Formats: sequence, C-alpha cells, structure tokens
Amino acid sequence: MGVRIGVPRGMYFYKFYPFTRRFLTELGAEVVPSPPTNKEILDLGSRYCIDDACLPVKVYHGHAEYLKDKVDYMLIPRLTSISPREYICPKFGGLPEMVKYSIDKLPKLIDVEINMYKTRRNLINSLLKAGSMLTKNPYRIKRAADKAAKEQIMYNNDLLKGDLPCKYIDNADVQRCNTGPLVGIAAHPYLLYDNFINMNLLEKLSSRGIKFFVPEMVEKSVIEEKCKIFEKRMFWSSSKELIGSALYMMENDKIDGIMMLTSFGCGIDSLSIELIQRLGRRKYNKPFMVMTLDEHTGDANFNTRLEAFLDLIDRRQAN
Amino acid sequence: MRLTYPHMGEAYIAVKALFDDLGIESIIPPYSTENTLRIGVKECPEGICLPFKIMLGNYVKSIEDGADTIVITGSCGPCRFGYYGPLQKLILEDMGYNVDMIILDPLKEGIGKFINNIRRLSNGAGFKAYKVFMDAYRVCEKIDELNQVQYFVRPRTKDKARVNSIMHEFKSKVLSAKGSKEISDLIDTTKNQLLALDIDMDMNPIKIGIIGEIYTIIDPFSNLNAEERLGDMGAEVHRSMTVKDWAENNLVKPLRRQKPYELEIKLSKPYLPVLIGGHTQQCLGHAVNYALSGYDGLVQIYPMGCMPEIVSRSILPQIEKDYDIPILYLIVDEQTGEAGYQTRLEAFYDYVQTRKKKRS
Repeated sequence: MGVRIGVPRGMYFYKFYPFTRRFLTELGAEVVPSPPTNKEILDLGSRYCIDDACLPVKVYHGHAEYLKDKVDYMLIPRLTSISPREYICPKFGGLPEMVKYSIDKLPKLIDVEINMYKTRRNLINSLLKAGSMLTKNPYRIKRAADKAAKEQIMYNNDLLKGDLPCKYIDNADVQRCNTGPLVGIAAHPYLLYDNFINMNLLEKLSSRGIKFFVPEMVEKSVIEEKCKIFEKRMFWSSSKELIGSALYMMENDKIDGIMMLTSFGCGIDSLSIELIQRLGRRKYNKPFMVMTLDEHTGDANFNTRLEAFLDLIDRRQAN
Repeated sequence: MRLTYPHMGEAYIAVKALFDDLGIESIIPPYSTENTLRIGVKECPEGICLPFKIMLGNYVKSIEDGADTIVITGSCGPCRFGYYGPLQKLILEDMGYNVDMIILDPLKEGIGKFINNIRRLSNGAGFKAYKVFMDAYRVCEKIDELNQVQYFVRPRTKDKARVNSIMHEFKSKVLSAKGSKEISDLIDTTKNQLLALDIDMDMNPIKIGIIGEIYTIIDPFSNLNAEERLGDMGAEVHRSMTVKDWAENNLVKPLRRQKPYELEIKLSKPYLPVLIGGHTQQCLGHAVNYALSGYDGLVQIYPMGCMPEIVSRSILPQIEKDYDIPILYLIVDEQTGEAGYQTRLEAFYDYVQTRKKKRS
C-alpha cells in the first residue's frame, strides 16, 4: 500500500467522504479516517482548540490531534466555497490555519483550496493540485476524479432516498421505525450524523418509535425555491440548506414537528434559526424546538427536553 | 423621508456631513448607552454578535424620534454582517415598526439596484453627489487626524480630565453643526484646543496597537472605551481601522481602480494566504505591521462568536511568537463587565511597560 492519508472525521466529512475516499484510493493511497467521535477525541479537541470556537471546530481539532501520529499526510481541505457565488462559513476557509497553529508536530498537510465562488471549474485545478502530491500523471488524476464524482452522486442519491451516511461509510445502520409520528430534524451534517455529539439522537428517536426526516432527503431544487422568499440572495450554502429544508418541513403536512440542532457559538445558525423561527411563526403552527449543543451538554437534560418535545407532538396528534 | 443610520464610532459625523450637504433630513440616533443595548438584546437572537444588538437598539431609538427610513451598507461576504439588514427588518416588523430599509450592497451584486438606491439617497443631486461624497470623505480624514492628536496628547498630558471634557464638548457641538464645512472647522478648533494643553514632549510612552473586528474597535461604546482607558493609564494607542480606512478601501479605491488593502494582504500572506471573509487578513496584516513598526503590545478586540476573528484569534499566537510581541485578547458582548475589563487592561499595561523597561 502507498502513503497513509488521514481524514479527520469532522466538519463536512459526512458530506464528501465517499468522494475523498474513492479519489485518494484510486491514486494509490491508503485512506485512514479517524474513528467516530468519542470522549477522548472531544477532550483533545477542547484542549487544543481556542476556547471560543464552535463545537464542530473543536471536534475537528480533536480528530486531527488523534490522527497526527498515525498517518503520513493529513487531508484538511480549505473549503472556501462549494457552489458558485456562495460561501460556507469563514471557519471552513480558515480551518487549515486554525489546526496548523493550534496543534504541534502535524504530518504534512494536504490543504488545497476548493473555491468555486467564481466557477465550478476551479475544482479541477484543486483536484489536480491535490493529486499531484501522489502521482505525476494528470490522466490518472482525471480518471480518479471521474470515478470519485460518480461515487459521490450515488451517495447523494442514496441519502436522498433516506439512507444514512453511517450505512454507507461505516456499514452500521440505525434501526428505523415505520409507525410513529414523523419528526423533521434540520441541522448541519456534522451535528446530525455525529452520534456522540448529538447524544445518539437518531437512535433515541427510533427506539421511541419515531420516524425522522433529515435535510439530505430534500431535493436541491426545492431548497433553492424555498430560499427565494428572501429579497437578498442567501450567500451561505450551509445556511441555505438549513433554511430551505426547515421551510420545506414546515410546509409538508406529513411532518409533525421540527427539531433543530445547533452548536453553541455557531454564527450562521444564530441568524438562520432566527429567520426560520420568525418566518415560521407567521405562517405555520407546528411544534418547533432548538437544541443547543456544546462540549458540556449533559445526557439527562437533553433527554428531558426531547421527551417534552415528543409529548407535545403526541398531544397535538391526540387532539 | 426622514433618514436614520446606526452608530459606528465617529462614522455619524461623516454621514451627517454627507446628508446635510445633500439637503436630506437625517436623524442621528442618540449615543449608544446601556439602554440601547438592552432594547437590542431583548429582541435579538442570543447568539448573534454584539454589533447587531447595538444597531437594533439604535434603530428603535431613532424610530421613536421620528425616523422612517434606515440606511445601512450591506455585503455578501461570508461574514454575518451581510444578512444584518434582512433580519433586522424582520425583527422591526415583528416589533410593530414599519420602516423602509435601504441596504447599500456592493456594486457587483447588481448595478441597477445600486444606482436606484443612490438615486433615492442623492435627492436629485446628480453629479454634484460625487463632490458632496468627496467632501464627506475629507471629513473622515479630519476625524482621523483629530484622533491621532488625541492618542498623542492623552498619555503625555497631566490634565486627562481636560482632554475628556474637550472631546465631550466636541461630541455635543457636532450634533448642531451643519454641513461638511462647519464640521471641519469644528474639528480644527478641537484639535487646536487639544494641542494647546500642557504636553510633555520628552515622554516616551509605551505604544499599543488595537486590532480586531472593525465595529468593536471603532465604536467606543462596544469596547468600553478601551482607547481612552489605555490612554489614561499612559499608553499611546493606535487603532488599526478607522472609518476613513473603510471608506478609502471600499469606496474610493474601487472608484480609482486601485487594489484595496494591499499592504495588509501582503503582510498576512505567510499566515493566511487567501481571503476568508470579514477582516481577518487586515487584522493579521495590521498585527505584523505594528510589530515591525516597533509597537510594544497589541490588543485584539472582537465580539463574542465573530466567525472571521476567531480564525485570526487562532493564528495570532503564532505572530506573537514570531515577532515577540505580547497580545491581549478581549472578547466583548452584552455581558462584559467593566471591572474585569479594566483589570485586564491594567495588567496588560503593567506587563508591557515592565517588559519595555527591562529591555532598554
């Protein structure tokens, strides 16, 4: 096997890992993802990261610290923009620097910039640059990128149908339930699919007989359309997904309640949740709850709030 | 149309000059106080940054004074400031205030909309508007000069109370001055008053540079008068960003087809090679610039949860090491207590001064 490339399991891992894995494997590298978040990784993260960063950034630091001795390279891409005329969040753009200056003795970083703000074609250059660290042959990089893109499309389609990323990435599925009420969960992928940070939310819901609906199950075109209610264009892709899917959940009659997960100190969410709440309150009348997570979140109070929310849905349905 | 605009430090002076010259009636919101902030905090989402809360308080106060149109600048960068306008409008509507909001987005977001907004604001002035704008810009330059004088005089004079009273007098008189001409004259008079004080020219105070998020370093209310406090202790401060800098780089330089923020971008390149939004590059660039020009310490101020500044905050320790310059990090929000803040500034001042003495 060739070089070992570490991929920290944080930020947009659950969004783009299939692409990354396929691309790097095709180029002859061994891809080493860090294990799912656990107490040790979270503690490492809060120790090394500056204290007022948001939870996902801290978790990311933990994963990077955990991986650093186990690999030859580490992939920390700079995701400035993943779709034209949109950014994600400044922290995504500064992530390589944040990690680099907070953690000592890192292996060599692959920190290519992915910036599709002007055009999607910039991705080609970024991939060429990343690939050239492993092979000199540009055609091989192109073939790898094509295969990776196909894989990513298949992955996205599976998610659209309702599969969860863990099934695809770790071969472990959450037992799903088909009977109870349907709860929409609007949250960023790094909170929604990280079972340690969100206190096993998905399993908890399933074990209580609740079905859930996640933003990845909403079509891109629907999200675009829902975001047109703003006079000003939405220039964050992360927030767009959140607002678009939350508004879709509000409108969809099959969904009985909406729950939002956010991390303490998330800049984008502080705006988008307020927008959703204020717009939602004007038109719709659905149970809605926001759960704020950080490294001090306790299981007990999380459960209490969750139960209260589910009781509310039950009572609404009984009436 | 009775216009109003939020406070940002001394920006109101230039904006007032601009609207006065255009012949538009504008209402300056009362100076920000605890009460302003309280109004904002009550209605705002808790996680939003401090400037949002203060600005909302400003609007409410102005509306109570009879304003019906709010002007703010916009942006479409990754910083949250870009969506301030739409959300603030939504909140004001929910509070029962029906006001018009003019958001001046940058040119590249649509020329038609921009020209339309300018036409609404320029009161049919046509090309005269350009001249009026440049006059207002000159007022910004004058304010900068006044601030420079103040930074120089404050640590060097014994009569610090007199400096305060001169500045207070200026603040109250400027509200009744009309147009850029009168305001410029007033600034000149104030400057001369400051220079006429008893100044100890041989004194060699420590020099502290203030870097960080643009609103919180420009607006003295939001940073609890950090400049004044440091100056009173005996440090000569310099603030990295001013209203004039902002206007120069965002309005004047694009008009003249020059590149904005060239120096800052060049100096910050080794630490952060690309633009990630907000003023991260500027903050880092200024830090390096201050270190190279022989400053003794830096203070970074930013609102709690500011996304771009958190990135600079995690890079700054490296600059601290590389250039051997101490940095104090201050995070402000509505919970910031005055006593703790003062203690930290004092401790930092003592530390920097002792350090300087030991080295000389």
